Amino acid sequence: MYFKLTEEQELIRDNMREFARTYVDPVAVEIDENSRYPEEVIKKLAEGGWMGMPFPTEYGGAGVDYLTYAIAVEELSRSCAATGFTMSVHTGLACGPIFNFGTEEQKKKFLTPMAKGEHLGAFALTEPGAGTDVGAATSTAVLDGDEYVLNGVKTFTSNGPVANTYVTFAWTDKNDKRNGMTAFIVPRETPGLSVGEEFKKMGIRASQTSEIIFKDCRVPKENVLGKVGDGLKIAMNSFDHGRIGIAAQAVGIAQAALDESISYSKQRVQFGKPISRNQAIQWMIADMHTDITAGRFLYYYAAYLKDQGLPFTKEAAMAKVFCAEMCSKHASKAVQIHGGYGYCKGQKVERLMRDAKITEIYEGTSEAQRMVIAGNLLR
Amino acid sequence: MPNIVCCFKWVVDEAYIKPSSSGKIDLEWAEHKLSDYDRNAIEEAVRLQEAYGGSVTAVTVAPSDATKGIKDALSRGPEKAYFINSEELENLEPSQTSAILAQVIAQQIDYDLIICGEGSSDLYAQQVGPRLAEKLRIPCIAFVKKVEIDGGRLIAERKSDDGIEVVSAPLPALITVLPDINNPRVPGLKDTLAASKKPVEEISLEDLDTEYPALIIDKGLRAASLVRNCTRFGSTPEDIQAFVEAIKKTGIIDRG
Repeated sequence: MYFKLTEEQELIRDNMREFARTYVDPVAVEIDENSRYPEEVIKKLAEGGWMGMPFPTEYGGAGVDYLTYAIAVEELSRSCAATGFTMSVHTGLACGPIFNFGTEEQKKKFLTPMAKGEHLGAFALTEPGAGTDVGAATSTAVLDGDEYVLNGVKTFTSNGPVANTYVTFAWTDKNDKRNGMTAFIVPRETPGLSVGEEFKKMGIRASQTSEIIFKDCRVPKENVLGKVGDGLKIAMNSFDHGRIGIAAQAVGIAQAALDESISYSKQRVQFGKPISRNQAIQWMIADMHTDITAGRFLYYYAAYLKDQGLPFTKEAAMAKVFCAEMCSKHASKAVQIHGGYGYCKGQKVERLMRDAKITEIYEGTSEAQRMVIAGNLLR
Repeated sequence: MPNIVCCFKWVVDEAYIKPSSSGKIDLEWAEHKLSDYDRNAIEEAVRLQEAYGGSVTAVTVAPSDATKGIKDALSRGPEKAYFINSEELENLEPSQTSAILAQVIAQQIDYDLIICGEGSSDLYAQQVGPRLAEKLRIPCIAFVKKVEIDGGRLIAERKSDDGIEVVSAPLPALITVLPDINNPRVPGLKDTLAASKKPVEEISLEDLDTEYPALIIDKGLRAASLVRNCTRFGSTPEDIQAFVEAIKKTGIIDRG
């Protein structure tokens, strides 16, 4: 066992840190306040080759392993969780399934511009009545000649309002709960696809979230992703990949909470000494660092298994639930350390605490992760 | 088309410098980084290449394990690196570094312009550039904030105590650059991946067959610490005497 990143992985991490400090830190507060999509930052990420990291160069990617990609998500999220998530959902949930299940032609046509960062991807699965219970979806796809006609409403679609390419899911056979759902690639300009309500969120406000409405949206047969009826399998597989990204994002948020807590507690003086001299604060800091390190190694491990071609569903779920919950807990502790100042705009920890909560909810709630883990242990 | 050499140093990242409980400096877990102003030196070399063509070669003198530093430098644009290394190359002082650089550059590299940072982020002695120029017997322009090449000459704006001087020198020449000269670009992912594939000329110090004795001997490093005694002193002669006595008592000064 060798507990060290390669020089290349370290350099890529350091470069992402430099990127985030140069281009993301200066806008992070403003894009949060205005819920603004940081188009200029995403463009810079694309120029740097960061928007398709784990995909082969022949499809416009950089050809690095999934671990290196996840480390970059962590570093980016340390500066801005919303920007980190935009990159993560694009890579893990939109590019990922096209790479894993797409035909050669689909990879050339859709994945290549996405991995180059010219097109942004979104993953439209959740419906108003179908969150964790994916099978409760009602969207349908009916074959008519050479086209499928899609009807339905998707909600909480991350990158929804700004994406160019959507991976979405609909029933091709409503009676077959296991093999009746099919995945489709739908370009933004397809008639019948429209952006519905845009959501005002508590955190990751610079990440854009909306409904996506399909109304008699005609999608050519060749845009079926994988085989007809493989939708559920593709969705679950995509989540396995996506969860590593969310775990990394959560570690990035928690690391930022620790960074802020260390610097603030050393300079905040009460009772004639910095509050960092109080054991109560020291214990919080020690717990934060311990949990962050544990979480980081959990997601490293899940990514490592994936890179080795080994099963990683359970490990991705473990990383996701652990990192999300420790992130929320410690972002809240970081506000505690900052006291009243931490509760106000102007301190980064205020944003971190709002951003942290979503990591327990999206790409499978903490409860859903435990279902996956227990399911693996008890079957 | 100028052949440009940029020199860089792989230094301890100051963010990781911590005092140990014994008062010494604990560098065991310290990460290293490219010296800050050397980023400007590399960036300027690459910008000049973009403007005038030619080549950019990065050169460093470093311990053998500084391979990450070579990749870091190459990810910022140079197409080739010279890595002069030895396992014993810790804590070199400027006279040694400049002598080693001079020997390798003079013997092995075809150059028109050498660019150094104004000083390193660790020692900041600001010596290597001028010493290197002196040993190579080429003109040196230090503290440059803007540079252009015009035929066989370079024209540089340099900061001096009195203001900005515009000076010119024939090539080959050496400049040391200020951080104001440019904003170094952030290497993209593909730049980092490409860096691993660029040629690196490794030169072991033993190959050079020359002794580089140190002129300054390090007796030890101690961490600075800040102790607040909350004592106030005025400015009368008595107060000043009391102040001197107080710091004598703490052992900060011991000569009477």
